[in-house]
Amino acid sequence: MDPTISVSKGCFVYKNNATRAGKKTPAKRKHSSVLGQEITAQPFYSAYSECWQKLESHIAQLQHQSYSRTLEHLIEYVKKESVGIGDKDDEILPTAALLTGINQPDHLNQFETLTRRLHSENAARVCVLQSRDCSTLKAAVEAMVYNLIEAQSAGGALSAEELDCDEEIERDRKRLRRTQCTMKQLKAWYLNNFDTSQNRRALVIILPDFECFNTAVLQDFILILSAHSSSLPFVLVLGVATAMSAVHSTLPYHVSSKIKLRVFQTQPAPAGLNEMLDKVLLSPQYTFHLSGKAFKFLTYIFLYYDFSIQGFIQGFKYCLMEHYFGGNAYALCTDYSQALTRIKSLTHDDMETIRRLPSFRPYVEGINDCKRIIAVLTDDDYLKKKLPQLLRDCMLHFMLFRCSLEFFTELVHDLPRCPLGKLRRELYVNCLNKPITQQTEYKECWQMLGFLSKYEFVTKISKCIACTEQFISNDIEPLELGDACASSMRNQLKEIQQLLTNVVMATMETSGPAATAATAPLAGSTDLTHVASRHELKAQLLQRSKQDKEQQPTTEYAKALQLILQHIETHLVMKYLRPLQNAPPLHELYIFSDISTVRRNIIGAPRAALHTALNNPHFYMQCKCCELQDQSQLVSTLPDLSVVYKLHLECGRMINLFDWLQAFRSVLRASEDLNEDTQQEQIDPQIQARFTRAVAELQFLGYIKMSKRKTDHATRLTW
Amino acid sequence: MEQICAALEPQFPCRETTIKTLGELIGNCEEAYPAAIYLFGHTGTGKSALTKAFLQQCRKQQKVRVAQLNAIECYTTKILLENVLDALAPQGAEETAKRADNMLEFVNELRRWHDQENNSSYLIAVDNAERLRDMDANVLPVLLRLQQLTSLNLCVLLVSQLPFEKYYNKTGLSEIITLHMAQYNKAETLRILSADFVHVQRQLLAGLSGNEKGLRKCEQAMTPEFYSNYLSLFLSVFYKACRDVPELKLTARKCFSIYIEPVLAGTIEATDVSRLWRHIAGPLRAALTQIYMRFDKPADELEQQSNESDQSVRKLAQSLELPYYGKYLLIASFLASHNSAKQDKRLFVKHHGKQKKRMQTVNAKAKTTDKMSTTLGPKSFSIDRLLAIFYAILEEKVGLTCNLLSQISTLVHLKLLSFVSGEQNIMDGSARLQCTVGLEFVLHIGKVVGFNVRQYLCDFM
Repeated sequence: MDPTISVSKGCFVYKNNATRAGKKTPAKRKHSSVLGQEITAQPFYSAYSECWQKLESHIAQLQHQSYSRTLEHLIEYVKKESVGIGDKDDEILPTAALLTGINQPDHLNQFETLTRRLHSENAARVCVLQSRDCSTLKAAVEAMVYNLIEAQSAGGALSAEELDCDEEIERDRKRLRRTQCTMKQLKAWYLNNFDTSQNRRALVIILPDFECFNTAVLQDFILILSAHSSSLPFVLVLGVATAMSAVHSTLPYHVSSKIKLRVFQTQPAPAGLNEMLDKVLLSPQYTFHLSGKAFKFLTYIFLYYDFSIQGFIQGFKYCLMEHYFGGNAYALCTDYSQALTRIKSLTHDDMETIRRLPSFRPYVEGINDCKRIIAVLTDDDYLKKKLPQLLRDCMLHFMLFRCSLEFFTELVHDLPRCPLGKLRRELYVNCLNKPITQQTEYKECWQMLGFLSKYEFVTKISKCIACTEQFISNDIEPLELGDACASSMRNQLKEIQQLLTNVVMATMETSGPAATAATAPLAGSTDLTHVASRHELKAQLLQRSKQDKEQQPTTEYAKALQLILQHIETHLVMKYLRPLQNAPPLHELYIFSDISTVRRNIIGAPRAALHTALNNPHFYMQCKCCELQDQSQLVSTLPDLSVVYKLHLECGRMINLFDWLQAFRSVLRASEDLNEDTQQEQIDPQIQARFTRAVAELQFLGYIKMSKRKTDHATRLTW
Repeated sequence: MEQICAALEPQFPCRETTIKTLGELIGNCEEAYPAAIYLFGHTGTGKSALTKAFLQQCRKQQKVRVAQLNAIECYTTKILLENVLDALAPQGAEETAKRADNMLEFVNELRRWHDQENNSSYLIAVDNAERLRDMDANVLPVLLRLQQLTSLNLCVLLVSQLPFEKYYNKTGLSEIITLHMAQYNKAETLRILSADFVHVQRQLLAGLSGNEKGLRKCEQAMTPEFYSNYLSLFLSVFYKACRDVPELKLTARKCFSIYIEPVLAGTIEATDVSRLWRHIAGPLRAALTQIYMRFDKPADELEQQSNESDQSVRKLAQSLELPYYGKYLLIASFLASHNSAKQDKRLFVKHHGKQKKRMQTVNAKAKTTDKMSTTLGPKSFSIDRLLAIFYAILEEKVGLTCNLLSQISTLVHLKLLSFVSGEQNIMDGSARLQCTVGLEFVLHIGKVVGFNVRQYLCDFM
């Protein structure tokens, strides 16, 4: 097969025997990528796959950590139940309800982890029972028994201790038909395999999507399990998406009295996402970054639509692919030392890509030597010499940005009402999108910081410093350019620390100017006794309050406070938390911001796509005949369906078929000569047939429905 | 027969009469059994346990062959028949699995046994017998007349919660001996729960093993009188709410550890009933809200749980994780369910014109105040209307994307919405949904997203 650049995949149907043949020969091709050799050999692809693998393993590790606590409890529970079950016969089924949150597909892999863990510890046999397999009680029981027995043989095949044992299992499997999978069979199987006291194992039944089950089936299923629980140590695990009340409303008393519920709470999805964003996506160890808009877009899909962490990761991966697919120049988006080696292998085209980056232009304009400008623009070797410095600046900028973000987050995250947001991701988006110092929320924050009491302010700032310090030593220093970043950041922190000691030392006493002003209130108070009118009084009070305010910053403490805030603003926020427009040249190599492509490709909008296709076929067909100057234009060369669709858009709820036909005919005949007056009365049967067909197609697409109330009218179904 | 009764009576206090009757009917395998016995009564009255124990005794003492099965498990007739055959098969018979695809083969198989060996008796007990009605039409009649058909000394015991009148069908059924097991009264309940004393004591002692001082104190305090005192306190709270003995037994065990705690700690004397009552009253009331829920929680979480259950609806609404648009869709569906489509224009369109107030409508409204649509229950709506309301109440503009549409199906999966009709033809727009959550819940959801739901309900205009 020729390797292909296109990503489209074919889908082939094989008959049953073909798949069986395929099973015997294990997959030869280790290379599972759909892409051909000439793509995978490119430097940008290797940079991409390296980056993605690092990210993926990091994410997986993080998720594993966050699951593990609940998982640990659950496994402990299962083990305890399976041991203790032998001696009681009151038919109570131990049940664990796992409150997973609403995105159920996401949680399937959580259950898979559980299954793997239980299998590896030889504590239990596990069967994951999906609601789609359990439309009837019969199907449910058969699926359960089949899975339990099959899982056993699969596990046996994996361990593969004795070959003949394997074969026996193989034969076993062949003998087992779906209809034979009954509880009786299961019991016999269990007696054969596990009933000695030392390898007694629990049979864990996992229902990952509890809410989707048919209630009647579920009730009967639980009753059966509980009836057998004296001889077979079942443990039921329910994945509940909403809340425990769902369980109680589904199971009536005669069923719920047979179970013993233990509730386990998992981490809520938004918390999981925040953790992942903080630890992985915003981690300085990756050179790839999302722009504020792209970042916001992905989190927006998550928070507003589906709460799917898996979906978020896939969206992120898409961005990553899109970024690296820009060309080999993007292969530079990797570690500094690796980038240096890659610079050598860049071709002329790649250099041109770099020159075309939007941020390259300000860089060139910034050079004031004419010769050097020409050299940068034309001489590849010269630019290659320049590149390492540029890349280094860029990377350093992102690291410093990240450090400052740490400081800044700690500074503003717990202000009342959180004007800038309290999470790192919100601040990240805010800082990257617009110059943050110009936002009103920022000013509000600064004002609030000024209002803090001395004690609060000092603890806050020292906490910020400590946090950033910790961040530097934990995350930045192990990195390649970490030392450079750390030293410059530490200098900043030192300066802030110094200013902070000033604040600490400052007294609350008012200094010189305040003393002179002290006479003013005295004068005011004398005035207050003889005011003529209420109006005058008000004016005077206002004036006095203004005076108070002016006096405020005159205390030593307030001065020191203003000084430190000023310093933070100019040296940290303005300098490092710059928006994307002001980022150093070539930042496009590291930052992905092509949001419109991503949006077009990962959000499906079927209705919009259909509308475009019908309204402007040229958009998809790229034919010469139906190019439109204007969206609403009607041309006779358009496909019939499109003409009919456009005409129907002009109508109200009910469409008269005859009028529609007339309009259709006039559109088609607009191009033809008008001298065929003889046919004015008679409609060409061909046109009528075309019209009928187009209307039928429109009906098929679900835009209209033939009305039953009014003859010869169609109803529009869209609005 | 006397032996069987003697073995069972201590195990099942307050069931002496039933055991005696059963013993008279099927206690002796030498005598001819009745064809069928029907045993019924509420849940938790000991039907199944008693039958099971009785059959076990018969098997042990008189070598009667018994089969016990649960009708729920028998989702096909074949499974029922094969299970019975398996259990009844003579020992030492050929090991091949018994096969019986239909009633005829089943009866033939049993007849063959009759030819082979003469003098054995058979007992078949079917739990949840009401399920037999839904099985093949011949199952129930054949089971009732199995003795006659097979000419074996065989009796079928049907155990169920329904009275036998509910089984009558057009073709009629043969006569059956019915036995009713009445619910226990308060004194009987107390007696049964007191029988649990030994178990509780053992558990308590086991829990304290290693702690010498506690052990001694426990032995001192833990007397049958102390326990029955506790039980009468316990029943005074619970008996009105729950008469199900197993449930009471479980809850009693759970609460007893709280009851005895201060005694073990030495803060309250074991004889000081009134102080003990003051100590236990709160936890008992909390446990009353938890009854039937079967939460199995570690002790420290138990109290925390009871505090939470107070504001359950609010808690639920806040704890439910839904995406932002999912919440709005839920609110929109609630509005669609509880407003009539006629009012939509008035509610959701900005310039809807002035409504004329006519005397007739005013009168009609005054009369129907008790028929508020929020209390009448949800009406169905189409997906188009749902989306239209969604866009009307949402201030920002969002595209109609796949993600949004899939939210609707997510809500259906979570059982917050449900299909009323046309589940099959969602594509042509004739599917109708309804919202299944209550007003209070939606009000809380609205509060979370900052949307005043009442403002958009006709009832509150």
